Amino acid sequence: MTGLLKKILIIVVLLFTTLALYLNFILMPEYQGLKTGVSNYIIQSALRDTGSLNLITAVLYDYRAFDSLGESTVIFGAVSGIVLILSRKMLPVSSKGLSFIVKRTLGIITPFIGLFGLYVISHGHLSPGGGFQGGVILAAISIIFSIVYGSAFDYRRYSPQKKTILETGGALTFLTIGLAGLFFEGAFLHNLNFLTAEPGTLLSAGSIPYINIGVGFKVGAGLAIIFYSMIQKTFEEDY
Amino acid sequence: MMNWMNIELILLILMPILTAVMLCFSSESNHKINITITLTSISLELYFITALLVSNFAAVKNASFFLQYTIGRAESPFVINFALDNLSLFFSLIVTAAVFLIVIFSVKYVEDRANQFFALFFLVLAAIQGSILTADLFTLYLFIEAITIFTTPLIAFKKNETTTRAALQYLFYGLIGGVFFFISIILIYFELGTLRMAEVAAAFVNIEPGMQLTIIIFFLLALLIKLGIFPIHFWLPRAHSACPAPISALLSGVLLKVYLYIFMRIFWTVISFTILSRFQLHHFILELALFSSLVGHLFALQSDNLKKMLAYSSIGHIGMILAVLLLNTKAAFYGAILHIIAHLLMKSALFLSTGYLLQTTLSYQISDLKGVGHKNRSVFVAFIIVCLATIGMPPLFGFVSKWYVLLAFLESQHYFGAFVVGAGSLIALIYYLRYISQAYLTFKGSETVSIWQENLSFKEFFSSFNAMKAVIYLFTFLIIFFGFSFKFFSMPIDTAIFELLNPQKYIDLVLGG
Repeated sequence: MTGLLKKILIIVVLLFTTLALYLNFILMPEYQGLKTGVSNYIIQSALRDTGSLNLITAVLYDYRAFDSLGESTVIFGAVSGIVLILSRKMLPVSSKGLSFIVKRTLGIITPFIGLFGLYVISHGHLSPGGGFQGGVILAAISIIFSIVYGSAFDYRRYSPQKKTILETGGALTFLTIGLAGLFFEGAFLHNLNFLTAEPGTLLSAGSIPYINIGVGFKVGAGLAIIFYSMIQKTFEEDY
Repeated sequence: MMNWMNIELILLILMPILTAVMLCFSSESNHKINITITLTSISLELYFITALLVSNFAAVKNASFFLQYTIGRAESPFVINFALDNLSLFFSLIVTAAVFLIVIFSVKYVEDRANQFFALFFLVLAAIQGSILTADLFTLYLFIEAITIFTTPLIAFKKNETTTRAALQYLFYGLIGGVFFFISIILIYFELGTLRMAEVAAAFVNIEPGMQLTIIIFFLLALLIKLGIFPIHFWLPRAHSACPAPISALLSGVLLKVYLYIFMRIFWTVISFTILSRFQLHHFILELALFSSLVGHLFALQSDNLKKMLAYSSIGHIGMILAVLLLNTKAAFYGAILHIIAHLLMKSALFLSTGYLLQTTLSYQISDLKGVGHKNRSVFVAFIIVCLATIGMPPLFGFVSKWYVLLAFLESQHYFGAFVVGAGSLIALIYYLRYISQAYLTFKGSETVSIWQENLSFKEFFSSFNAMKAVIYLFTFLIIFFGFSFKFFSMPIDTAIFELLNPQKYIDLVLGG
């Protein structure tokens, strides 16, 4: 009886909220393009300002680079939090893996996945992609390995310490480039103008490619660490 | 070209992040180096903010203090500002000082997995500094989310079912609050096309009233959830009691004050208070906060867990502070900010000393408290003094601040508020005495050493002395000291109130340069 009452109460509250939201969102003005023309500004002057062909990357790592630093710090904190909470739980993990065919195919494919990940990271300022996306692709290699070969295999090859070093190295790269901007250009995370070259070439757009590389390794290693702290590691007995 | 001006503002945020990264990098085994890094970093942080105060003391004194640091291309419409005025300087200073003491305490207290603990702790500190210093709504949102995400694993630090449940609940409600905050920000961006606080503040009146109401309601929902005001308060005691003692002190003593600061920043600077009062919302929130205060104290009365009791008492105090802020008079701000400092000191001291006293007991249940008063006498005496301050005993700091809060309520002829202040104190007296009497209940064997012998022979006093005790004694000393010399705070509080009452200064200075 009380369960029914509770449900009715919840439904009534939800209906009221919906009504209130509806009444208020009716007031939303029709979309007229943003009033101050922020998007126009970006389209017109981002290439001139930053030298990056990918305008999203230009916003992420130049105009609002500090917010990206914050976001990658959030990932960093989430990784250390997950490691803190989930470590040392002992779960039995298989090291047998899948069949021979799958293992061979993965062996052939892996270099290409890695190449693609590195391409996405290093061409972040030229084509769609960037550090966050490429990092996820790199992390996928590690995850696929643990599925196909059993988790003990990848654990032996790239230990958590190596991954932690990669991750903190990525974070330090981001911070160092930010401080370099402070020293050479006079503002924290300012784009390093002396690194700019012809727009469209690989090493152009100031410090953006280097930040991309740092973020890529950080995100890749971070996701791999998250994955590994979730599956865990009593491999002594079955490897 | 070189812009070294006000670089401290950005360093205040970057220092803790760098420390966290370094702590993750170094291995757990070289314990000494890790402790050195931790202590150096937190001392530098405190040094930066005090240096800012000392070097600009004249400007602070006549309330014209303002520093600003801009990130991004100056000519583009979306730069990120960091601004420090009297209000944020004041909050940044007290928060950094409290965190400094808590870090010193936890260096001794946390031994297992200390690296990860301090890495996350410093990330929380960075997020706190960021949310105090920022002058951009999106960056503020980012830092609020960061606070929630970084504190969650710290709540679940002792890995068991209760803490994990509390942490997940905390994460859930924290994220819900964040989503509400985000909805408001999106709506503001759609309406005004900018998220710089000063520009939003200057243009907010031009939004049509219905939209204003929606934005305000979502901001209010977000902040009321984060502050643990009555209908959505149940996550707070669980989260604040599940974590280790330093984290309880951080959450209850420091973080709630940061959310109060954000509340002030949003509802006095960004959205001016006249708009809030045009919708008569401030009356509703005031009564709700007072009711929440009463509910918090009543729940504390029935709680049999010491830390839960302290957390419920936090709900009571925060409700009172929020209510008195919403009176929007000069006396009210004075009382509120004074009580913010007092509550910061008292709750940190209480949580830290419970952590120290109950190191050996398995739980914080009232039945486990038997005889605690005999084991660590001097620390327990400090605990009692702080309890009395929280209740509001005359010579102590808690009395002074509660007195000004009471005066503010009486001045605006809000008698229900005055009643809640008095009733809260009375109820607090009952629940604190319950625990204190329990702690002195049993004699453990033959106690021959009296407290005078224990403490007056200096040799024994210093042989049992350590950093944890020192921090607890320091907090207690500050509470007694400021009880007599609370006038010490009148200059910084007056200048902070000046900022609250004159948001135009902030807007002009941020937009002007």
